Amino acid sequence: MSTKHAIAAARFLENKENEAWHDHTLWMVRTKRDKMSHSLPEWERLRELASEIKLYSNSHLDTLLEEFEKNAIANGAIVHWAKDAEEHNEIVLRILRQHDARNLIKSKSMLTEECHMNEFLMSKGIDVVESDLGERILQLMHLAPSHIVMPAIHIKREQISEMMEREMGTEKGNIDPTYLTHAARKNLREKFLHADVAMTGANFAVASTGEIVVCTNEGNADMGTSFPKVHIATMGMEKIVPNLEALGVFTRLLARSGTGQPITSYTSHYRRPSEGQEFHIIIVDNGRSDILAKPDHIRTLNCIRCGECMNTCPVYRRSGGYSYTYFIPGPIGINLGMLRNPEEYSDNVSACSLCLSCSNVCPVKIDLGEQIYRWRQDLDKIGKASKEKKVMSFGMKFLMERPGLFNTALKFAPVVNHLPRFMVYNGLNAWGKGRELPTFAKESFNDMWKNNKVR
Amino acid sequence: MSSKDSILASIRRHTGARHEMPELTLEAITYADKLATFSEVLAGAGGKAIELKPGEDVNEVIRREFPEAKRIASNLKEITCATFNPDELTDPRELNGTEVSVVEGSFGVAENAAVWLPRQVRYKGLYFISNALVILLDKTQLVHTMNEAYRRTATMDYDYGVFMSGPSKTADIEQALVFGAHGPIQVVVLLR
Repeated sequence: MSTKHAIAAARFLENKENEAWHDHTLWMVRTKRDKMSHSLPEWERLRELASEIKLYSNSHLDTLLEEFEKNAIANGAIVHWAKDAEEHNEIVLRILRQHDARNLIKSKSMLTEECHMNEFLMSKGIDVVESDLGERILQLMHLAPSHIVMPAIHIKREQISEMMEREMGTEKGNIDPTYLTHAARKNLREKFLHADVAMTGANFAVASTGEIVVCTNEGNADMGTSFPKVHIATMGMEKIVPNLEALGVFTRLLARSGTGQPITSYTSHYRRPSEGQEFHIIIVDNGRSDILAKPDHIRTLNCIRCGECMNTCPVYRRSGGYSYTYFIPGPIGINLGMLRNPEEYSDNVSACSLCLSCSNVCPVKIDLGEQIYRWRQDLDKIGKASKEKKVMSFGMKFLMERPGLFNTALKFAPVVNHLPRFMVYNGLNAWGKGRELPTFAKESFNDMWKNNKVR
Repeated sequence: MSSKDSILASIRRHTGARHEMPELTLEAITYADKLATFSEVLAGAGGKAIELKPGEDVNEVIRREFPEAKRIASNLKEITCATFNPDELTDPRELNGTEVSVVEGSFGVAENAAVWLPRQVRYKGLYFISNALVILLDKTQLVHTMNEAYRRTATMDYDYGVFMSGPSKTADIEQALVFGAHGPIQVVVLLR
């Protein structure tokens, strides 16, 4: 019984060249992260502090969110609270309708993906334009992001060139990234200037000052909010940090971890509405407060969405974001999917070699791999354990508890070496899929020990 | 019950152990030569640091860097090479087509070459819309790290502010780095 992840990964692996490029490119980003982290003697201390600050803020969400709201209102912002995705989308639509808005320019936000907001708004006749280049490319290709920071990492320049020729009238066959990027710049410039409403996510929300902080390299969030009369910022409630000093810890970690840069080009602080502008902030729960009741998984709320766990993950790098069934892939996505709906997203927990590289690099010290391990222990309880593996585990247990039988089995193991392939490599041997079995030794270690052959 | 109340109730119902806020004590890195580090990191981020020589006029340097520029925006009195004052526009959209903007930075951060720009122009779009941005910065106003930077901004009032490190960039097409995704293609920090 293959998981949906394994089946989709096999498809990804069919194109060896792309798979190798994907693996190599993401590993290069991971290497850049290492260079950055090694340049700071206090790196590990920063990770420790970041993790501790998050544990504090996520266990004081009630007071911090109220403090944030009070300060944001004093700054002139209009604050909304959304229990779930549906309420979030309704709030956005209501604001748009109040302003007779027809088009929305938005910067990247995983939260709006989580809420399926674009589909909802477009069904209500709103033209939603993604302004992050990667997101825009995917939007025009009708595809979903495959990575949370590098959303179009799986798309090749030839495909982009083809799409842009169709959508923006660029030169046929011109695949130069600079040419294509600058053509998109020109095309999106008009969208920025003439949007009715701008929307951004929030990387951080500072309780003590009521401001939100948005980090981008492209400057698309800032361009977007510079011209329309309305700015809507939407934030998952775990984005809260207590104060600016605490924020300093995170802005030192975020880009170094995610893309191997010392900081993003823009770390923008929105405190008060601009002249003549309305500033709305939506605080979203959508299942987050339920996670607070799960001590084994509470650290997932530490996540600052840097994407580093994807870059480092050997399974993600070699299977691609689309192999996962939850909209956030990689180690953090496996965990967030299980918290959303374990029955629906259990296919992803096998997409992990338990190497724990993710846990070792996570800037906010989420025990990502350990949590995946814990989810696996619970699979049987929700009826999602693999039947093959259950049979195999039962067999192994039976054998291990009977030393005589075990030794006899071992004696006959070398027979496998001489069996025809079809008898060894078949549907019953999951281990033999995609790899060769080792040759069984003629003599077991047990026998060698007894015959004094081990020194 | 309002959504706010039900969210807060859910948080209170589900919150278990309440963790203490850690003491933010940190032995952060310090750089022997902040100016040199700043310039080097800025170059790495795709920007350019120019240290003004004694007696040199900023306008001369700007002209030298951008000899072709015909539309130069600045609200700073000393920028005599400016062709218009962006604060006099009635619609920020009119900023489109600006070739060079000249603004003043508050302070810089050595570890990442970010310059703190609290909004000091009428339209913050000016920081993003022109093809090139020139930031004037007092070279004695450099801090080592973001920790130090936020201790400074904590005492400031601003409605909008941005830590800007180099030009706008993207690598969304096959990880190939391209400057000028949407914002400035070039950023020059003039240190004096």
